[in-house]
Amino acid sequence: MPVTTKTRAGLTLGLALGLGALAPAAVAQDCTTKIGAVLPTSVDWGRPIAEVAQFAVDQVNEAGGAAGCKIEMVLRDTQVDPKVGVDAAKALVDLEGVKLLLGAVSSGVSMPILTSVTVPAGVPQFSCCSSSTAFTKLAEEGKTNGLWFRTFATTAVQSAVAAKVARDKGYKTVAVLYKNDDWGQDMARLIAADFAAVGVEVVANVAINDAQPSYRAEVTEALAAQPEALYLALYPVEGTSAVREWISLGGTQNMIVANSLKSDEFRDNVGLQYLGNTLGTDTASPRSDSADAFRTRYVERFGSEPNGPGLANSYDATMIALLAMEAAGPDASGADIAAAVPRVTDPAGTRVSADAAGFAAAKEVLAGGGTVMYDGGTGNVRFDANGDVSAPAVVWSFAEGGIDEVEYLSLDDVNGFIASLR
Amino acid sequence: MIGLISYLVFFATVASILAIAVLGLNLQWGNTGLFNGGVVAFFGAGAYGTLILGSPALEGQLGGFELAYPLALTGGMVAAALLAWAVGALTLRLRHDYLAIATFGVAVAFESLMRNAEWLAGGAKGIRGFERPLRAALGDGFLYNLAFLGFVLCLLVAVYLFLERLVGSPFGRLLRAIREDEDAARSLGKRPARVRLVAFVTGSAIMGLAGGLYASFYAFVSPQDILPVLTFQIWAMLIVGGAGNNRGAIMGTLLIWGAWTGSGWALSRFAPIEAQLYTGSIQFVMIGAVIVGMLLWRPQGLFPERLVVSQSGRSN
Repeated sequence: MPVTTKTRAGLTLGLALGLGALAPAAVAQDCTTKIGAVLPTSVDWGRPIAEVAQFAVDQVNEAGGAAGCKIEMVLRDTQVDPKVGVDAAKALVDLEGVKLLLGAVSSGVSMPILTSVTVPAGVPQFSCCSSSTAFTKLAEEGKTNGLWFRTFATTAVQSAVAAKVARDKGYKTVAVLYKNDDWGQDMARLIAADFAAVGVEVVANVAINDAQPSYRAEVTEALAAQPEALYLALYPVEGTSAVREWISLGGTQNMIVANSLKSDEFRDNVGLQYLGNTLGTDTASPRSDSADAFRTRYVERFGSEPNGPGLANSYDATMIALLAMEAAGPDASGADIAAAVPRVTDPAGTRVSADAAGFAAAKEVLAGGGTVMYDGGTGNVRFDANGDVSAPAVVWSFAEGGIDEVEYLSLDDVNGFIASLR
Repeated sequence: MIGLISYLVFFATVASILAIAVLGLNLQWGNTGLFNGGVVAFFGAGAYGTLILGSPALEGQLGGFELAYPLALTGGMVAAALLAWAVGALTLRLRHDYLAIATFGVAVAFESLMRNAEWLAGGAKGIRGFERPLRAALGDGFLYNLAFLGFVLCLLVAVYLFLERLVGSPFGRLLRAIREDEDAARSLGKRPARVRLVAFVTGSAIMGLAGGLYASFYAFVSPQDILPVLTFQIWAMLIVGGAGNNRGAIMGTLLIWGAWTGSGWALSRFAPIEAQLYTGSIQFVMIGAVIVGMLLWRPQGLFPERLVVSQSGRSN
């Protein structure tokens, strides 16, 4: 039969549709959703935190974006100044129309953003690093409307695990050097209580202010009581300075440190030879292959371990926020996204790894109506009713190549131990 | 559109609150020649005073009085005035640089006190949980911010009118006389020390009012809010706007705060992707450039002081 124009047209159309159906599922979207980030990029330790958040966004876009659109992270600097940070957050919410906000790092900036911008606007706020216990209290008072989440290992867990370490090592007296901000002050208070509960006496409690040229006076005060061990709740710069002073004045090398000192900078500047008896606490990655995904991809991309303060937390905050956005679906409001967070941090859900492949897998599971358990850079992140993270814990020590895990405590172990202290 | 208006209302509120503080500094420096290097201490005293008096109880720290908002705000002003009276009585005999250093020291001591005295002000945790006035009636959104802006603008206008009357009055002439030539004023029977103290305390009370409004707008205050950078910001606003001129003080605030926030917004919107991580540092460069540029172009400020001749020297 002669091939008429109609037949030819029909065949062409059929061919086109057939080829179209063969196209890959993750076709480039032509829509973009903006998310906001208010982080202290003008401070040197703030820049890597912003960088790793952007890294997470890049991976999500690689996996085809979230809720049907590519993600664009609009980054604003807070200058560690509350009024600048709040203004930046307000501009992101009102002018850019973001549906979720990452930030800030300092509690003094996160809190006014929460009370005057994100809660009134109904926008969920995910902080990597705000440590003040005031947030927990605020959430308990019902003033956060379920919009506040932070992937920061709460001080209560760190202090409890530190008490366990001190008890297991048999230290009878400990001196505490703590950073003089909300986090450090909370740590000092909780350490004193938890150590006393396990029978360890805190003989000195000394505040360390930032950016002092010398900590001789503080170290001398702590050394006066001749403690068996030293507990440090400090960040790398002040920690290095204080520890050097401590060791040169003859202080003991038995040290317990918080996760803030889990950094190569600290290890290299103090020297591995003095850190043989140092044990640290942190929230743990679960014992599974997927736990290494974040570290592997990070090293691939940046060429160094993700050991600085706040890096893994910032990554997890971003990933969980975007997973929740995916779970809430297109055109979701801020409150919907916040409500979707339990669906992506469900202990009974399908495990997904912390990389682009993991996000793609999560998309499929969520599309099928299931739930997901996100294996993050900081561990099996789960939020309680107040937006605080509860995760397994790890005791670690310094080693040549990085960090060695000494002991792992599952979530049940941690909760059980905390209960035994109170 | 609604987003833009909402943002502008928010911006205008913060700018107006800062403008009130700048007006207070103008009384001290512009009119009386007192170099107050510790502006943030009086701002902070007002902020903390208002929240301690107005917030519900928090465990382990002073508070829980839950006074009505006007009383809490006035209480904040009184706290700032008392601090200024104590500082002034001790340091106002010092001149210029020495006064600047002494008041700066007071500001640093105040921040240290607030950071460490957990029983007084919560330490680094700050004071949270403040219930903003009329929140139950107006809700939490745009309408509330608009109403609060209206309230702050009323106070700004009231302070402006008060200071304009003061400057035009015989007391204002006395302030300028003491600023220009203290010995001449003393020889005419005036008491410069007392007058300086009055000006210092009044200016500080106005700064305390600004602090109280700031803290109640954010419903939170912490030692992070009372760092020395605020003193620098208030000073920059006054110098750029025109020391000695109240209108200049307000315009300077708008200009500097606008440059501060606008540079951040512009960089996030227009800077290339590769530079986005560095926009924070670039923003500081831009702010500095605006301040330096303004001073090079108009060193006397946007609105220079209007000198008034009260009696012409010509013979009748």
